Amino acid sequence: MSPLLQALLRTLAAVALLLVNGVVLILMLRKVLARLHLRLGPTRVGPWGVLQTVADVFKLLTKEDFRPSGADKWLFRLAPVLVFVPSFMAYLPLALSDTWRFSDLDTGVLFVLAAGSLVPIGILMAGWGSNAKWSLLGGLRAAGQQIAYEIPLMLSVLGPVMFAGSLNVAAIVNAQRGVWLGVIPRWFVLPQLVGFVIFAIAGQAETSQTPFDMSEAESELITGFANEYSGMRFGFMFLAEFSNMFVVSALGVTLFFGGWLVPWADRNPLALALGPAVFMLKTYLGIAVMMWVRGTLPRVRVDQLLAFSWKTLIPVSLAWTVLSALVMRAVNL
Amino acid sequence: MSDIGRIGPSTGVVPTEGAHRIPVLPRGLRRAPSGIDEVATEHLIVNMGPQHPSTHGVLHILLELDGEVVVAAEASLGYLHRGIEKLVEHRRYHQIGTLLDRADYVSGLHSETALAMAVESLAGIEVPEKAQWIRSLVMEVNRITSHMLWLGTFGLDLGAMAPFLYTMREREALLDILEAITGSRMMFNYVRPGGVLADLPAGIGVALDTFLATFDGYMDEYDTLLGGNEIFVERVRGVGVIDATTATAFGMTGACLRAAGVDYDVRKAAPYAAYAHVEFEVPLGTVGDCWDRYAVRMEELRWAGRLIRQLLDGMPEGDHTAKVPKGLRPPAGESYAAVESPRGELGIHLVSDGSDRPYRMRLRSPAYFNLAVIDEALSGGLVADAVATLGSLDIVLGEIDR
Amino acid sequence: MRPDVDATTEILTAAGVPLKEASSDTLGVVCRIEAFRLEAALAALRAVGYQTLVDLFGTDTGEAVELTYHLRRLGDLAEVYLKAIVAYDCEAPSVWRVYPAALYPEREAAELLGVSFAGHPNPKRLLTTEEVEGHLLRKDVLLRTPEEVAL
Repeated sequence: MSPLLQALLRTLAAVALLLVNGVVLILMLRKVLARLHLRLGPTRVGPWGVLQTVADVFKLLTKEDFRPSGADKWLFRLAPVLVFVPSFMAYLPLALSDTWRFSDLDTGVLFVLAAGSLVPIGILMAGWGSNAKWSLLGGLRAAGQQIAYEIPLMLSVLGPVMFAGSLNVAAIVNAQRGVWLGVIPRWFVLPQLVGFVIFAIAGQAETSQTPFDMSEAESELITGFANEYSGMRFGFMFLAEFSNMFVVSALGVTLFFGGWLVPWADRNPLALALGPAVFMLKTYLGIAVMMWVRGTLPRVRVDQLLAFSWKTLIPVSLAWTVLSALVMRAVNL
Repeated sequence: MSDIGRIGPSTGVVPTEGAHRIPVLPRGLRRAPSGIDEVATEHLIVNMGPQHPSTHGVLHILLELDGEVVVAAEASLGYLHRGIEKLVEHRRYHQIGTLLDRADYVSGLHSETALAMAVESLAGIEVPEKAQWIRSLVMEVNRITSHMLWLGTFGLDLGAMAPFLYTMREREALLDILEAITGSRMMFNYVRPGGVLADLPAGIGVALDTFLATFDGYMDEYDTLLGGNEIFVERVRGVGVIDATTATAFGMTGACLRAAGVDYDVRKAAPYAAYAHVEFEVPLGTVGDCWDRYAVRMEELRWAGRLIRQLLDGMPEGDHTAKVPKGLRPPAGESYAAVESPRGELGIHLVSDGSDRPYRMRLRSPAYFNLAVIDEALSGGLVADAVATLGSLDIVLGEIDR
Repeated sequence: MRPDVDATTEILTAAGVPLKEASSDTLGVVCRIEAFRLEAALAALRAVGYQTLVDLFGTDTGEAVELTYHLRRLGDLAEVYLKAIVAYDCEAPSVWRVYPAALYPEREAAELLGVSFAGHPNPKRLLTTEEVEGHLLRKDVLLRTPEEVAL
């Protein structure tokens, strides 16, 4: 197979995964929230409401795609693309198993984070380009928030990276094979518990989920930066949000929960063959927890959010990074 | 960024006079007092509402923002004005209740009772004891439904989705009970001059018992879910402070006034219906911030549950209504009757000219006076605080706009 | 609780507000004064502890607009009603400096009954839009649909 065709097919596979994820996650969000909130969620469209999201996509496709007269034409049009494309790019370095992967990047983890950090630019463009006051507030909030939480997120992944000695996602997963003390799976979440907590908090903020949904903040900014968007332009932003959730959860699984490895059976050929399914299962469990948090907690205030990051999260994650580096040196893990 | 919507003729900035400043927001942008050195910044005027998720209906607030900090706030009312006070002048006394249900559509039984009491005081009607007890009972049930709606939407305002759907569970149960008693879930028209429309149906005690059996447990759950949540506490403590002086000066009543530590509850101050015969406490706050308003209402909810128990246990036998002629013609004169609605003192001021229709009826709406304080309460906070404060005031626009 | 009519009269007279009439009827203690003395009268009552303006509204008597100020002292729950007559389209003093609670009701009375309040800091309409003609709570404004009147 020519390398070009191969690259194309891999990209298409990533797109397919993204779209399927979007459809499944939207239904899942509704069902998870419904379960938390004593209600049913969609039940009418298809068995168990599974076709609801499909119906919604059709609705979005047929909706009028309008642009406010005062909006900045190009920023307004480009913003959804700039929100969507990085969240798609972040899929590329992910590995579902040793063989199931879209690309083999030695800087995989860095690439995911770098792609993620492009999203706020798109949100800021959407907020500014809409020429609406609430949207602008949402865009500015997004910028402030993402910068503040990018740093702890980066620092929190350093622990596993140091343990594995690589930024390649497959190498990090493979470094989590085996057991400690004969029973405990060698998942990095145990020695890096503090790092994981920081990652979880910063990840929730990075994906703009409640309690950190500053840029949307329905009860304050209506829908924030997405106020003036309709139809599929809105659809892309919506999809990007879910795709970001998947990426963050997948990254967390890769870094802290042994990726596609089944504990105590990480050399079993059957378990390895089921790797992609195991990986997806773990990732979806992570997303379910994110949704659980989203359905339960109130929203923090924007100044509290920033203060929490700069005054608590960043110092703690810095200290933790230094501490884990020192300990690693000392005991030579 | 030019259109700022419906705002009256600009009169410029009015200098602060007296204890309270009155903002008059200009059209467009206002140049801010220079912030950082020579950097010129502009204040942003945004329309919050009338279509906004957190304005609880169709309230329209103009916010002058410096970044995200609220500099001034002005409410623009009237989107729900139906001229109820005018319509009432063309209705017979027993026809007014239907209109009042639509004024405060969340707790209609309170306004009905206030009206009935005002008419009774004008016409000199003696209300049977049983009717008084039934009135108290349905009003307390109505208070829980209203406070539950407030609790849920307050959670929503702060971004917590879960409590809203949980409180709907309690609200539904009680609305079903109210439907069994009054025949309607919200537009009751049950309390009439002279008594109430009908006696309590059989089995209502059992239904309320079933509800009360789980109520305290659920209240603990809400206290854990919201009051026990650090994020929630951070969002409401010290936010939207309305102290006792401001609250009394603006004529605030109800939980908003009691949160500031002022002990005024119509049920205690001028006992009506059966409130003289039951025992209850009036919870008070200290500072008057959003937390105090939350805590006072939560405590009121628990007390409403206990009151329902007492009212059920002590329910006397007898008639549910006095004999009142259909074409009631009270003698010329004036009367005022007030009840403690979930939002505060709801008063009906009636002027009769001796005919079968009121000459003038004034609805003293508690939320109307509670809302007037928003500039004082919102200025200096963030947009997020504005939403929290507004939510904690518990406004119902139907009653404000009338 | 009803305060003594005489005591209230004394307070107001001491403040230089002569009463046209003072009575105690089904409503409570009602004092009638001249409209231009409203601010002084309310300030005097506020000084003796009537901190709360419970309500302020106007009534169209058919000849003029009667303004009613409902005051309450929270300590002993004494209540006083002040009434003043203002001719149609004429002016009464705004009392918002004494009672900020009057801000909304004064705007409402102004638009619905057609009186104005001198010194109000924000004399805009409150409940109706600019297009509404007439003053809706005046008796000469009739409801328009026959069904409504026929009830």
